[in-house]
Amino acid sequence: MTYQYDVIVVGAGLGGMSAATFLAKNGLSVLLLERHNVPGGFATSFVRGRYEFEIALHELSGAGRDGRGDIGRYLNYLGVLDKIEIITMPNLYRSIFPDMDVTLPVGLEEYEAKLCELFPDEAKGISKFLGRVVAFYQEFSRISKLPKRPGPMEVAMRYPNFFRYMSATWAQVLYRDVKNPRARAVISQYWGYFGMPPSQINFMYFALGLASYLKYGPSFIKGRSQTLSNAFIATLQEHGGQVRFNCGVKSITVENGRVTGVITDDGTNYQARWVVSNADPIATCRKMIDPAEVPDKFFQRLQASTIGPGTVNVYLGVNLPPEKIKLTDHENFINPDDDFDAQYEMMKKIVRPTGCLATLYNHVYPEISPPGTSIVVLTALNYGEPWYDVPPEKYVAVKNDVADAMLDVAEKYAPGLREYAEVVEVATPLTNMRYAGTLGGSIYGFDQPPHDNVINRMGHRGPLEGLYFVGAWTQPGGGFGPCMISGQMAGSMILKTWKQ
Amino acid sequence: MGLELFDWLKDVGQIVEVGGKQKQLRQTGRGTDYTADEYRDLVRRTVDKLHPARMRLRVQEIVGETSSTKTLRCLRIDGPLPPFRAGQYVNVFVEIDGVLTSRPYSMSSRPGDDHLDLTVRDRPDGFVAPYLLNEVRFGDELTTTGPSGGFYYEPLIDGEQLVFLAGGSGITPFMSIIRQAATEQCPPTIHLLYGTRTLDDVIFGAELKRLDALYPWLNFTLVVSEPPAGYDGVRGFLDAATIEKAIGGFSGQKFMLCGPNVMLTYCLEQLGALGVPAHKIRRELYGPPDDVTREPGWPEGLAASQEFQVVVEGKKTIAVKAGEPLLCSLERHGLIVPAVCRAGECSSCRVRLVAGKVFMPAHAGVRESDRRFGYIHSCVAFPLSDLHIDI
Repeated sequence: MTYQYDVIVVGAGLGGMSAATFLAKNGLSVLLLERHNVPGGFATSFVRGRYEFEIALHELSGAGRDGRGDIGRYLNYLGVLDKIEIITMPNLYRSIFPDMDVTLPVGLEEYEAKLCELFPDEAKGISKFLGRVVAFYQEFSRISKLPKRPGPMEVAMRYPNFFRYMSATWAQVLYRDVKNPRARAVISQYWGYFGMPPSQINFMYFALGLASYLKYGPSFIKGRSQTLSNAFIATLQEHGGQVRFNCGVKSITVENGRVTGVITDDGTNYQARWVVSNADPIATCRKMIDPAEVPDKFFQRLQASTIGPGTVNVYLGVNLPPEKIKLTDHENFINPDDDFDAQYEMMKKIVRPTGCLATLYNHVYPEISPPGTSIVVLTALNYGEPWYDVPPEKYVAVKNDVADAMLDVAEKYAPGLREYAEVVEVATPLTNMRYAGTLGGSIYGFDQPPHDNVINRMGHRGPLEGLYFVGAWTQPGGGFGPCMISGQMAGSMILKTWKQ
Repeated sequence: MGLELFDWLKDVGQIVEVGGKQKQLRQTGRGTDYTADEYRDLVRRTVDKLHPARMRLRVQEIVGETSSTKTLRCLRIDGPLPPFRAGQYVNVFVEIDGVLTSRPYSMSSRPGDDHLDLTVRDRPDGFVAPYLLNEVRFGDELTTTGPSGGFYYEPLIDGEQLVFLAGGSGITPFMSIIRQAATEQCPPTIHLLYGTRTLDDVIFGAELKRLDALYPWLNFTLVVSEPPAGYDGVRGFLDAATIEKAIGGFSGQKFMLCGPNVMLTYCLEQLGALGVPAHKIRRELYGPPDDVTREPGWPEGLAASQEFQVVVEGKKTIAVKAGEPLLCSLERHGLIVPAVCRAGECSSCRVRLVAGKVFMPAHAGVRESDRRFGYIHSCVAFPLSDLHIDI
């Protein structure tokens, strides 16, 4: 059979753009289809009045100064890196509690020193724990470079930290070394980046994330994450790939258990040997593909996976210069107390949040808004499910009540946000569903407990021959860096077959 | 050492436990059943209740408002009317003489009504308005987008003292907001200043007067620039002195502006003179300029009638005029580009400029990186040379 394209990629999120660009660079003919009018998925921005808001990027991991991190090197390999400018950040995050306010610096030694200074009684445990995190990260890096996956005995002997903690939760490891609840909370502050509290999030994902932030520092992209997305598309086109916006995929065609192409919303049929779906696996296998074509064991396999959280975001264009807003760092985590499990329970309902993340983007990217103004985004994680049944006529009142509570939380530390707000937009999990089309408005794909961690998660090979998955729902997991890696992983699998 | 060994055993136990749990959930079917009905097309079903991409409306009644204005009262025929924020618009798709195009119209009815009112005023040199006013009949069908736009009263940040500055047909979103406020227990205080050329042009004049008399929270000032002889109401324009007099000086009120582009620009200057800061002003979007050659930055000597060639996707070549938005020129030639706001902000009509130069007004809401990578919003892009574009 002859095909028009080697590969069709459905969806221009980070996973889709990464897979498409990787394959086009390696000589395959690629067509990338995107339903929306701009590329990026969550790696995008929107304009209201004189403000252009970053949708989703808080801290990019693995980019590193001048692109020296692993993600930076991958972007360089593709030809994307020289089209973007990476801004590295001086701090990891600021943790605010009613009785404590601390900013944590980049760098393992600096981070450790700051924690030990804050919690001198715990110094020994903190050092021991961070040692485990770093050793785990190093062992994981070594394993991932091996030509084939090592057996259990080899892992147990040669990679002892990886072996011991690969199935643990973050808390199972941390709480053994560190006893002070506040110290545990400060060290676990990034939990919101991973979607579950320490007691439930898998250790692997958290440790790899934190170690990467410590090693390379978090970064931002000049011009916002839309620049990264536009750079991907430009690079894809340089490599001969084609892209269509405003072009949703209605169905994926299947013949004899093998995908053969797609039919778009306007009825056009494109044929390809491989189809890479950046859509969520449920939409792909229940909507785009006739479910009767999908083997039962695919859905059985997914039974253990639950849909991860979405977000409520309050985007504020504020007519005040950043120095007049008392958010002293880029990332300001505002916590009511040390109990992240209680915060997690609130994510499962629609309630007035008692904590949130307040991001002041001008600290890292001063030109993000006109002189004399600032962009502040308040974020609270929230599962999509409770939003499905909000009566349409009550939706604005319900979301505004949540936003009002988040403004209350933020204004305790940064008064004036409401008074000086020139523009406000409130986005809920339903907004994520509307624009990114993702199930539950989930920003991290499936939840990430140990049984759905970096390596236990759904892989890239789909249930039908020729079908692949990329994005947050797949290995290695949610987040900007991991999604780009998912595209590289799926792309490498296809490339291997193509070369044969 | 004993403790360490114990920890080690616990860690190995976790590996076994997680492996077991995984296996159990995946084999026993006690996890999430994604083949259940509720997961079928869940995203589309959920989102469409709030934000249908398209709506089919039937014109149920046509109300004459003034000699140049009518209200098309519509019912939705392909589902219940979605909720909207009073002040929002829908983009109405039409086919006129074989040309598929669209124009946004604010709802003048209030959210929650069983119908949706689109109030249309005739425009000199208009293309769509005359069609809607003269050709559309009772019982006709219209296709529109779902409700869109960010011009509404937002209690989260807007406070409870509002001043509305309306010009001409710019009254329509305010009518919706006022009609909604009339149903609320604690409405905000609203001062409406409505600028009109003549008394004949006043849309909703009688209803506004009635509501003004009825509700203490509403103040209505009509400002007439060409009044009849002996008119004893307020004369002139919506200038600083008139605004100040009507509202008793600026004391933190939120101003909302809607009207023709010239009026918006004029009123913003007047508010500046009154010391109203940017965060106390909301304005409806500027549409594409009526006469782009008068915009700041337009190249000197380039006539609106100047013709250029546009090559679309390397296949089709069309002739366009410098003075017409590229989107309209594309539509004239049967090339469909999605559009919603048609005022430069929503990016639906984003296309890639492969070669050539266009002019976009300073207020066009094009993303920083889109400007860098050569993307334009065709609804507010005017050709300055021959172009190559990808749509």
